Amino acid sequence: MGHIIENLKQFWQFTGFANFEWGYLIMIAIGCLFIFLAIKYEWEPMLLVPIGFGILIGNIPLFAGLNVGVYEEGSVLNILYQGVQRGFYPPLIFLGIGAMTDFSSLIANPKLLLIGAAAQFGIFGAYAISLALGFDAAQAGAIGIIGGADGPTAIFLSSRLAPTLMGAIAVSAYSYMALVPVIQPPIMRLLTTKKERLIRMKPPRPVSPTEKKLFPIIGFLLTAFIVPSGIPLLGMLFFGNLLKESGVTKRLANTASGPLVDIVTILIGVTVGASTQASQFLRWESVKIFIIGALSFVIATFAGVLFVKFFNLFLKEGNKINPLIGNSGVSAVPDAARVSNNVGLEYDPKNYLLMHAMGPNVAGVIGSAVAAGMLLGFLG
Amino acid sequence: MKHLKLFLAVAGLVLCFTAGAQSQDAMRLNEYLVINTDDFQDDFGQQDAWIELFNSSYGTVDIAGCFLSDDPDNLKKYAIPGGDLQTKVKPRQHVVFWADNMPQRGTFHVSFDLADAKEIIFTKGDGKTIIDRIPVRHDLGENVSFGRTQDGIGSQDGSGEGWEVMVTTSPSTNNSTIDKAAKPDRMKEIDPYGWILALTAMSVVFLALILLYFIFKAIGNANIRAGKKRSAAVSGTDVKASQYGEIPGEVYAAIATAMHLYQEDDENHDEESFVVTLHHTDRTYSPWSSKIYTLRQTPAVNKRR
Repeated sequence: MGHIIENLKQFWQFTGFANFEWGYLIMIAIGCLFIFLAIKYEWEPMLLVPIGFGILIGNIPLFAGLNVGVYEEGSVLNILYQGVQRGFYPPLIFLGIGAMTDFSSLIANPKLLLIGAAAQFGIFGAYAISLALGFDAAQAGAIGIIGGADGPTAIFLSSRLAPTLMGAIAVSAYSYMALVPVIQPPIMRLLTTKKERLIRMKPPRPVSPTEKKLFPIIGFLLTAFIVPSGIPLLGMLFFGNLLKESGVTKRLANTASGPLVDIVTILIGVTVGASTQASQFLRWESVKIFIIGALSFVIATFAGVLFVKFFNLFLKEGNKINPLIGNSGVSAVPDAARVSNNVGLEYDPKNYLLMHAMGPNVAGVIGSAVAAGMLLGFLG
Repeated sequence: MKHLKLFLAVAGLVLCFTAGAQSQDAMRLNEYLVINTDDFQDDFGQQDAWIELFNSSYGTVDIAGCFLSDDPDNLKKYAIPGGDLQTKVKPRQHVVFWADNMPQRGTFHVSFDLADAKEIIFTKGDGKTIIDRIPVRHDLGENVSFGRTQDGIGSQDGSGEGWEVMVTTSPSTNNSTIDKAAKPDRMKEIDPYGWILALTAMSVVFLALILLYFIFKAIGNANIRAGKKRSAAVSGTDVKASQYGEIPGEVYAAIATAMHLYQEDDENHDEESFVVTLHHTDRTYSPWSSKIYTLRQTPAVNKRR
């Protein structure tokens, strides 16, 4: 009998209850909140459900030596986490994004590319704020990339520049991407007049298949020659797009944009979530990262909308751009473009801006990858 | 004509690649140690003088057939043998030769030592063209090497410009090791508020996207002109640029609605086969063949009460 009681006592020491700390409970509550937001409001469910559940997985209290934790070398979760740490999941996701993205609206109206560039001010605004708040330059670069509104890029860059902050940066980036419909509209309304919101843009011209095939090749060569440090992201993005547009690799494009990207999204979501262990995540730095992340989205939206207004000064009547698509320069595809469309429809129910907004939106993906390459080049 | 174009394209590619191939001129004497008592050992466990060469190019260089010498009158004193894969020096990499006067020990053991050498000379495969030379200093003491401050940078004429006494010996590795943490630290020092990096990076982002804009603007214009020509050829009339390529918004709205229905509302159907199939109906009765419908019904009389 004594042995049984002894065994049960020993077993109790193995359980999560015996190793419980309040930090874990807070993180479990955050994980549940993510899952709730994803299911109830459908905010980025593809990302928030895996991340939310990953947070639950990573915050079960356990003692070291069981070899199951994400930070314990050789554990299953640790092996899966290598894709995040070594940065090979984000380029695979970019492959899928490339295979899914239709650059037609951008090719039809290439001046929209510039809006995608302007919105990258969010990254460097956040970089400057991070420096002011006491982060070192590498950490500031990793935090700044949240302003690009691109989860894979944020993970890729933070794994290189500030691995210890990666969990907070990734969660912050994905959270604010989900909150794009909440953050952006008030800024868009604030910065535009009613007349500007009613601008109707010319329908884009049809784009020939040859142009679509040339875009990924020229786009890659040009951007990669300028920023070679961005090759992993840019290469996979444009390669994925070529698979789609070449017309002869339909199976590969389908795999890249379907099963492959789904598998990597699951793995990246769960492992990033699991990496947010209370001991790593519940720190003052994480709070600062969340504040900077919110500001970076605000700056990016400001920069995008104001740039369109400035750009309009040089455009003839009839060719003007509706400034409501300025917000979509951030690379939250297609959420930011959808926000442009919805806000536009509030003021003119027949003014569909979605197609026009997709141009800067996909330009933002390219722009944020170039910006990430620059940060890696200077700070990596 | 088609074959000619293909040939020219292939020839162009080959030329590009050959132009990029690196020559032995890119090799530099990079560091040497004369008195080795407590420094690195060779593969025989011996501590001997050594000479380090550095490939300053961004392509692999094969140094087989080149010469090392300590005698300006005999540039071919030690011929680097061929047939050894290790003589192919990778881009920006180093290779160390042991100056132990024991060439029988292998490719990287030269046929002289540095005890009385006046200079080290690295000569091209022709045995005449000196690529790099450096005088040998005998005043350095034990285990103190002499090398270029930065790998591959400095004189090649024996003047010793860009060379200095090394703080630590570094055979087969960089002479000045850059601390990995130094880059961000230096950046924060130069640019404490982040504006310089922000402006630099934003300029590059804009530059990249502006270049893309110009290229695709040009391609788009070419495409529109080609479309106009095709349309004119088909219709026999000139088509204005503004007319070409403009599709009414309603068309896009119809496409968007169709896509929405396809994706969201379970209205999806599989790809059209362009084959119309008339299924046989199981009903034996068909109004088409029924005589009832060809006859007028007998009028009914409703009596009013």
